[in-house]
Amino acid sequence: MANFKNFCGSRDHTISRRGFFSAAAAGAAAFADMTRLDLLGSSALAGEMKKQQKRVILLWLAGGASQLETWDPKPGAATGGPFRSIQTAVPGVHITELMPKMAARMNHTLAIRSLNTRNGDHGSGAKLMMRGRKDEANVKFPDLGAVIAKEMGRADSKVPDYVTFYTQTEGRTMAPGDAGFLGSRYGPMELTTNNQPDNIKRLDGITELDHQQRADLRDLLSKQFAQGRTSPTLGSQNEAYQRVRGLMASDKLFDVSQEPDRIRDKYGRGQFGEQVLIARRLVEAGVPFVRVARAWWDSHGQNFETHQEMVPELDQVMSALIDDLKDRGLLEHTMIITLAEFGRTPAINPSLGRDHFGNAWSCSLTGPGIKPGAYGKTDATGNKVIEGETDAAKLFATIYSALGINPHKNYYLGSRPIPLVEPGTEAIKEVLA
Amino acid sequence: MANPEKLKLAKEHSHKAITFSIARVPNSTRVYLGCSDFMVYEADVTAGKFEPKELYAHSSYVTGVALTGKTLVSGSYDGKLTWYDTEAKKVIRSDEVHAKWIRGVFASRDGKTIASVADDMVCRLWDGETGKMLHELRGHAEKTPHGFGSMLYTAAFSPDGKYIATADKVAKILVWEVETGKRVAELEAPIMYTWDPVQRLHSIGGIRSLAFTPNGETLAVGGTGKIGNIDHLEAKARVELFDWSAQKRLAEYASDKSQGIVNHLEYAPDGSWLLAAGGANEGFLILLDADAKKVLRQEKAGMHVHDAVMSENAETIVLAGHNKIAVYEMKG
Repeated sequence: MANFKNFCGSRDHTISRRGFFSAAAAGAAAFADMTRLDLLGSSALAGEMKKQQKRVILLWLAGGASQLETWDPKPGAATGGPFRSIQTAVPGVHITELMPKMAARMNHTLAIRSLNTRNGDHGSGAKLMMRGRKDEANVKFPDLGAVIAKEMGRADSKVPDYVTFYTQTEGRTMAPGDAGFLGSRYGPMELTTNNQPDNIKRLDGITELDHQQRADLRDLLSKQFAQGRTSPTLGSQNEAYQRVRGLMASDKLFDVSQEPDRIRDKYGRGQFGEQVLIARRLVEAGVPFVRVARAWWDSHGQNFETHQEMVPELDQVMSALIDDLKDRGLLEHTMIITLAEFGRTPAINPSLGRDHFGNAWSCSLTGPGIKPGAYGKTDATGNKVIEGETDAAKLFATIYSALGINPHKNYYLGSRPIPLVEPGTEAIKEVLA
Repeated sequence: MANPEKLKLAKEHSHKAITFSIARVPNSTRVYLGCSDFMVYEADVTAGKFEPKELYAHSSYVTGVALTGKTLVSGSYDGKLTWYDTEAKKVIRSDEVHAKWIRGVFASRDGKTIASVADDMVCRLWDGETGKMLHELRGHAEKTPHGFGSMLYTAAFSPDGKYIATADKVAKILVWEVETGKRVAELEAPIMYTWDPVQRLHSIGGIRSLAFTPNGETLAVGGTGKIGNIDHLEAKARVELFDWSAQKRLAEYASDKSQGIVNHLEYAPDGSWLLAAGGANEGFLILLDADAKKVLRQEKAGMHVHDAVMSENAETIVLAGHNKIAVYEMKG
């Protein structure tokens, strides 16, 4: 059975996630066990997850991948470029020949080919597509990761709610994770230098016993201090300590070498593949939102060479992720999104490149709540959306709806109600399962 | 005889498609063009009105055209080599001979041998008359050192037809004996391949052009220098010269004015100068002295140049590229 492939075989490890977290909170030994994915890979835990909320892995194609070389090919058009299109598992839907593995898995994926976000600027485009709306003068909106962290995260979780990988330097400062008015509680754990968080390891000079005893002492003093007091700040501080302990124990989640070679080979041994495999480990362990940024797609020169190099990697990694989640019974609870700040011009410039283009481009949604296939249509040259125009707000309303989140629910900034998406925006009903 | 000092633009034609490859009918101004609209055209570049005539189509970009007698051989990103009888005006055969994009098709000077290079990293040699495959030249790595698919961009025959050089994305050059298919030399021009491990995590560049001197002793290699921002091709156009049999670099030239990739190299018939043409957002035409030490002429070409042909006496140069065909003259 797929879910038991990594199972250690111990009856003790066949426990529910809730029970597991309770145990985890009890002491250092349990904290150490929390990071064991052989545990989390059990069918019992998958069953628990099914009853719970959804997860999201965002593959952020930083710099702007070309829709014509991915989800919306135009072979034979003057703007089409040299790549052919291929039939997918969904009758009548064709994608680029550079993605044969995804073509075979298109029965899990929806390509939205009708994004018109009217923004061709890296910085503001990235903000728009991570938040679904533009900031107002006095309101900084939370990004998708922060909203998912708030909606899907658990107060008693010992793992981070929002993790983002962005290792390449280009464009990183233009697309930071940002919790906006939700505050730092829902902000991301950002990994920018390597695949493992910095500074979460216990100092060498402190033994695990010392560390645990210090935590116990802090807990005891805190409880004594809290007697007779009702302070939200106090509660928040205690929660923060618990989460830090959780993070310190979760270093193995970020350790890709814990995975068998067979799985690592499927994702590929490159940085992107390894980070997406870690993302799977994280969502499996209960992290609601992980973004893996793969920079840099900004192909002003040599667009076809660049996509010839990068799209097959995306094809391998994304298809491996789908298969892996499916094998573990998690695909119906984990949405995979491919998105960027914009797409690329249909016009091919003299440098055989494509430039920034926000008027007719594509993204994809895989997993729960959506109908696979293709939605929306661009004209024969790819310059204009002619069917199903979708802006950032509509896309976000669709994502929230597919995940079971009411896109019209309000957050409150002081007494001001702030709906999750721009008022008046509806999800694309045709694509919701 | 051609005089570089007299170089001037004689004609410029607009063309609806990007022209990636051009071949000239000997002792004439008629050319064959391989284009981005998947078509192969025939045209007269000196005609008052430039009216390219469609001959036949591939199913992707046509990146190589070469003449062997009365037969035109074209290659495309569709992996097919098409043999076309220019007198009977009909396709003789069209075969899928490479598993990946064909990057170029080249004819030996005597027309007896045709070479095709492709991203399957194989150079295949063909009998120019019968179309029979003579050799498969394998030796270029299929993957870059960073695990991505490599590309085999270009090739050139020595003037006597005894050797062929091939060059790839990671800037490795192999020289082969045509008769036996045996590898006889290996060279590198690593500056022409840029891998960005920090900012963008992908690569750009590669060797895009090769040319032997008329005596066959020196091999010129064209590409671009290290690129700081690989979103663009904004690095100095670059040429390196090798004594290929000694496997020794003789000279390095980096343009002070022209940016982009050198897509075409060709020596003057007497070997006194070297034509380098290419581009990025703009294009260039450079005439270097035979040692690549001195620039004789350096001009903007008005388009990114993908290919070029010279007349027998080198007095006429035809550049083909981004939506244009340009005719330069340098009559002494």
